[in-house]
Amino acid sequence: MGLKRVLTLRTVIATSAGLTLASSSFVAAVQVAGFLAGDTAWLAILTGGLLCLGAASCFSELNARLPSAAGIRLYFSRAFNDRLALTVSLLYMAVVMGVVGAESYVLASVLSSALPAVPPLVWIVTMYLVVTGMNIRGIKIAGAFQDLITYGLMGSLLVLAFIALGRVGFQLTAPLAPGGALAFINAVAVGVFLFVGFEWVTPLAEEVTHSRLVSRGMLLAVGLLSVVYALFTVAMTASCSREALVASPAPQVVFARTVLGPAGVFWMVVLSLAASITTFNAGLISVSRFIYASAREYVLPPVFSRLSMRFFTPWVAILTVFAAGVTISLVVLATHRYLVLVNLAAAMESVVYALAGLAVIRLRQKEPQAECPYRVKGGVFVPAITALVFAGLAVAVMFTNFYVSLYLLAGFIILWWYVHQVVPVLKSKYQPRRPSRRRRPVAEPADAGCKKT
Amino acid sequence: MASHEEITASLLAFQEGYNKNERLKIMNRDWDRVVLVQANDIPSQHTLELRNGELSVREGAPPRADLTVIADSETLADLFYGDITPTEPYMNGTLKIIGSEDDIVRLDFISLMIWGE
Repeated sequence: MGLKRVLTLRTVIATSAGLTLASSSFVAAVQVAGFLAGDTAWLAILTGGLLCLGAASCFSELNARLPSAAGIRLYFSRAFNDRLALTVSLLYMAVVMGVVGAESYVLASVLSSALPAVPPLVWIVTMYLVVTGMNIRGIKIAGAFQDLITYGLMGSLLVLAFIALGRVGFQLTAPLAPGGALAFINAVAVGVFLFVGFEWVTPLAEEVTHSRLVSRGMLLAVGLLSVVYALFTVAMTASCSREALVASPAPQVVFARTVLGPAGVFWMVVLSLAASITTFNAGLISVSRFIYASAREYVLPPVFSRLSMRFFTPWVAILTVFAAGVTISLVVLATHRYLVLVNLAAAMESVVYALAGLAVIRLRQKEPQAECPYRVKGGVFVPAITALVFAGLAVAVMFTNFYVSLYLLAGFIILWWYVHQVVPVLKSKYQPRRPSRRRRPVAEPADAGCKKT
Repeated sequence: MASHEEITASLLAFQEGYNKNERLKIMNRDWDRVVLVQANDIPSQHTLELRNGELSVREGAPPRADLTVIADSETLADLFYGDITPTEPYMNGTLKIIGSEDDIVRLDFISLMIWGE
């Protein structure tokens, strides 16, 4: 076998954690703290991380059964049916675009705090232009750079957290009393947003030096992120007033300024830029390639499958994501309702994780003899708990936020209709009909010039 | 199920289609890649090598591949003959392509340029 198995555990962890770490994560972390009394955010974040470990186990089994970059589109299609898989995938990609919109708004707020003379709109458009240009030209962020950003970021956050906790003498107020079960459930539900995207590492399954590294890397990434987020959030709430943090779209800057003054602001701007660049790039790559692949199978109009003849990148799909992202960012800039997008992503991610748990159970029943190099231990306990808990968390987010349930429901209904009514029309209109198989007679390899090695 | 010889023949048909297309050769002159094509139902491995825009086919696996294409023998033969596009078997899990997303898109593009939709 000549598989290119070169990726190590270090890169798998960096990829999984790097896709997750974003500037908007700090906003979600403050949201988590906002639900709870005292300094108990760490409890909700660690609980969210623990639940995500269950979801990570389910994704590991799904990926071991069906190792493919098509991801949830394939898992849910095999486990349930293609239409449901397509509806959920389209909705998920729409939500990812929303996350990119929220991320650009938060990063623009961070940059505006450092350089108030430049309006946020200028930052937003500049960032989108840079990342879109990089994507159209096919420039990649190298693996080593990804490792450096991720580990540098996590290390910096821990150092900042310890400096802040040192300044307040590690005085925490009621670190074990969250103040009610409902508040805690809501905090955990929003805390799930902190881990959004850890499962995007699954397409690397057959490029790693050992097949178990992806599941191990995902679990370690979620564990590391839980510790970093928990410490950083506790440090934020211990050293700044909760009102000031909640009121700011860039709470990490408020925190950094309080702890280290202007130097802290500079440090945080660099960290936020590093965190956002990987998230932007990952979001733009995954959504544009999904749009391209969907257009190639006539789920979307074929125009979206156009490629640049110079750079071989799907430029129409990339420009579509650019246009959608800028539009979302402008709406957020006008309304300042970026938290709706954070909650929307938390709810959608919970739905996807719940379906992942159900998909594991369903595939075990449907294909008991199928090859599966990795199985979640303990029978159906972990998948069933994952499905139940994340379904509950999705309901909790939707129950407490009217707009989230409204947008998610409207999105689901529109896409369900689209998949049932429009996709069959597109397929019948554009899908080529081949008259017959063009299979040629078998050629003699030696005569035809094929070398044997 | 297709035989190893049928996969070889389909790859040679693919190579022939590629080499007839001068535009494609110019477009790929800076895309040097080694592609392993492997069947998962019969013992069959081939190497496609793109070097300076020229495509060559060899039997057997390369020491190291940039891109790996894995499917059942029938799908592979259909794919390289241009009877099917890569998208549908890729999305339903029959065809696995291991490599960077940009390389996958480029392979899809080459197949499109040789065989059309």
